[in-house]
Amino acid sequence: MIFGIDLGSRAVKIVTFSEDSFGRFQRMDTMAFYRDFGLRVDGKLAVNLEKLGVRAGDVVVATGYGRHNVGMPELDLAAQVYSGSIDVQVIPELNAHVAGAVHQTGLMAFTLLDVGGQDTKVAQVRDGIMMDFATNDRCAASSGRYLENMASVLGVSLDELSRHEESPANLNSTCAVFAESELIGKIVEGHGPSSLCAGVNWSIWRRLRPLVERLRSGVIVFAGGVARNGALKAIVAQEMGCEVIVPERPDFNGAIGCCVRGRDDVGARSPRRHGDTER
Amino acid sequence: MSNVAAKIGLVTTIPVEVLFAAGLVPVDLNNIFITAPDPAKLVEQAELEGFPRNTCSWVKGIYTAALRHNIGTVIAVMRGDCSNNEAMAEVLRSKGVEIVPFSFPYPRDRRFLVAEIERLMDRFGTNWDEVEATKRQLDEVRALALRLDELTWQTGNVTGFENHIWSVSCSDFNGDPALFQQQLGDLLRQKESISRDDQDGQASIRLGFVGVPPIVTDLYEHVEGLGARVVFNEIQRQFAMPGPAERDVAQMYLDYTYPYDFEGRLADIEAEVSRRRVDALIHYVQSFCHHQIQDIILRQRIKVPILTLEGDRPGPLDARSRMRLEAFVEMCRQRAVARSLK
Repeated sequence: MIFGIDLGSRAVKIVTFSEDSFGRFQRMDTMAFYRDFGLRVDGKLAVNLEKLGVRAGDVVVATGYGRHNVGMPELDLAAQVYSGSIDVQVIPELNAHVAGAVHQTGLMAFTLLDVGGQDTKVAQVRDGIMMDFATNDRCAASSGRYLENMASVLGVSLDELSRHEESPANLNSTCAVFAESELIGKIVEGHGPSSLCAGVNWSIWRRLRPLVERLRSGVIVFAGGVARNGALKAIVAQEMGCEVIVPERPDFNGAIGCCVRGRDDVGARSPRRHGDTER
Repeated sequence: MSNVAAKIGLVTTIPVEVLFAAGLVPVDLNNIFITAPDPAKLVEQAELEGFPRNTCSWVKGIYTAALRHNIGTVIAVMRGDCSNNEAMAEVLRSKGVEIVPFSFPYPRDRRFLVAEIERLMDRFGTNWDEVEATKRQLDEVRALALRLDELTWQTGNVTGFENHIWSVSCSDFNGDPALFQQQLGDLLRQKESISRDDQDGQASIRLGFVGVPPIVTDLYEHVEGLGARVVFNEIQRQFAMPGPAERDVAQMYLDYTYPYDFEGRLADIEAEVSRRRVDALIHYVQSFCHHQIQDIILRQRIKVPILTLEGDRPGPLDARSRMRLEAFVEMCRQRAVARSLK
């Protein structure tokens, strides 16, 4: 079995792959994940792979901010717990997300726009490999966390926030925290809920746009948790004048990419024997 | 001149021949700031005195370093480096530090540069004969630094970090050119004696660094740990004054690319990327620095992958920058594989 683990800033996503198909899709709050599956090994945080269901002979591919917590100290631990070997590989997030997007869409040339909990990644993909990329600057104002905070200020759900793109209230603040005060100012000015929600969606797009413009292609694959925001998807399509594809599981894209990488590496390492599953 | 302090602070590279000819000791404040045991504290100290959070940490570190080391005279580059330095120098002056202004001309005009160097010579009590004689002595030291640079990209016997540290130190030769020459000579003899076999590392990714010297402490270590090699340090190499030795002082500082228009830097970058077979560039930019804007032109002109990496405070790379570097090196590797398959 191959375990793809995406240790994000807001959520940990786990996907398993075996026998040519994906099994488990599990999403956990990051803090809860480290509380329930974290271990102290030599004073460092490690992930308890056994508790996650990893067994001898399995392959683990991890990515995300916490990826080195999977990759380093628990290798020793795994050796102690299991008699067999557990192969733990750590890959950069951008590569995981590109692999996930290629797998989920079947496309080989596109611009990947991944908007996650705390950061945004844009990658230009040609022939199935990343040719160039850009990420947001040192601020979470173009991320999912910004949308969560703004929804909370407005007292609406993320689903509700994601429905509005018409007649946006104009929000200009560069800083995510100042934007909250600006939003409150707009409420006081008498803008309606729909206009305020649309204003939030347009404000995140204005921050994403310079990254997407620089790496534009004919198709945009929109992934990450924020890809569930239908209004933002419509804004991206309208403003860039191109097709925007949201894969079936946008928030599991990185973990799926990890599985794909694990599968390819296992395939490359072991010559196919008689009776092996055709890939 | 009896009232001149023995140590003269520099905020960036200037015609250092003038100081050595006058029997003075130049101290590059950037170097004593970043090699201090607590560089982050120097930045904080400047902020406590009122320097804004959103200005360059190099400027703040230089400021505190000058005060901490009781530097009595600072040559402040008022054109050709950074306008924040201009204001920082005024604050130093308000604290009793003597500020000697120096400007690299824009456009790059020999007459104006000569006039600026002559103003420095008048201030420090020396003349062209002494300055040119000093240059001829320093030429020998610079030749060693440029030889180290050649070994970096031709043999791989010299790491990107070694190249960086020796090149960047050519701004003041650590205040003692003779000792610098001896130490660098020893290092070169050791590096030249290594067999060239399998040192070129054809399989590894060849990177170039462009932009100001990085404030982050482990950039080279991290990049080389990812299996890439740094074979070009753009600005640092300029500190060693590449070019024909037979030039006079004014011509050498006219050929020096950093303080003039970006076009001159681009021509140098283009030539070196090609000559050194650089696969990709890291464009290091300092937070809040005007050089960030030049990234637009760099990307228009240089046709290899470019990662723009921003650094703010002294210290190790943050998790985000490490992630971007890892992704970049892996991307370069995948591109190389794809190219070789075609």
